[in-house]
Amino acid sequence: MSDAPVALVTGGATGIGAACARRLAAEGFRVAVHYRSSAAKAEALLKEIPGAFGVQADLTVAAEVDALIKELKAEAGRVDVLVNNAGYNVNAPMLSMSLDQYDAVSAMARGTWYLSKGILRRFMLRAKSGRIVNISSVVGHTGNPGQIPYTMVKAGLDAFTKSLAQEMSGREILVNAVAPGFIDTEMTEELPSEVKDAILARIPQGRMGNADEVADVVAFLATRGHYVNGSVLHVNGGMYGG
Amino acid sequence: MEQSQVMEGVVKILTPWVKNDEALQAVSLETNILDDLKVNSARLVDVVIAFEDEFDIEIDDEDVDTVNTVGDAVQLISSKLG
Repeated sequence: MSDAPVALVTGGATGIGAACARRLAAEGFRVAVHYRSSAAKAEALLKEIPGAFGVQADLTVAAEVDALIKELKAEAGRVDVLVNNAGYNVNAPMLSMSLDQYDAVSAMARGTWYLSKGILRRFMLRAKSGRIVNISSVVGHTGNPGQIPYTMVKAGLDAFTKSLAQEMSGREILVNAVAPGFIDTEMTEELPSEVKDAILARIPQGRMGNADEVADVVAFLATRGHYVNGSVLHVNGGMYGG
Repeated sequence: MEQSQVMEGVVKILTPWVKNDEALQAVSLETNILDDLKVNSARLVDVVIAFEDEFDIEIDDEDVDTVNTVGDAVQLISSKLG
């Protein structure tokens, strides 16, 4: 087993997650790339990153999280950094969204909570150190029509960040969030062009961000930022200051 | 491992977390870890991890819920040791 510190990136096969995986590997981490259904993309990414390995799980299913923790223990024996990036969204206004769609989006809050608990219990508490970086979103602060459950999950993730940082009091386990603005990924590609134009008009830098710019801040929180704790760092080109 | 050895290990691990020294002096299998020894419940997870390290066992979260007294801890650890 390698001596390198290990970073687990959930939803790590695509978009912001993949950028975080590449960047953390460049910072010297052995990266565990979690994915749910993007097996082919995960496989392609793993070929790019020496020493990285893939772990598949539906994080909304407790038994799959338990199995993931066991797999990490066997494969790496440690997890030093957890990047809670996995998310799920359904775009629909409240009045045309079904309860099942709501449940599918909101299930990620529970999954993130349960995975974080397992990683703390099995790795970080024993090591007496660790970093958790949650990827929330500007829309958790500003709201966004058509994304009520998603904005609820993301706002909740920032509250989770602050509460867990306080629960870890007295330990060298730091918990922070990065709240990206509109980032050029597959998720934002789906937006209609008039929505995109309206968004760009609200961004002082006049452009969408890219995933590497988010990963840069995640890497800062994962490796430096020694006195940053319970914070939400906004990465949004100036559209929202917190 | 003899039950008395497990008991000795359990008490050794609990000692730094105990807030009631009188209860510790009179510790028995019936002593309640939170109520009598006044161990901070937020630190119980550290005690459980120390049990795992000391006895080289793995304790599930569901098992932790069954531990109230020193005797419960001794019984759980002994069952894991086989």
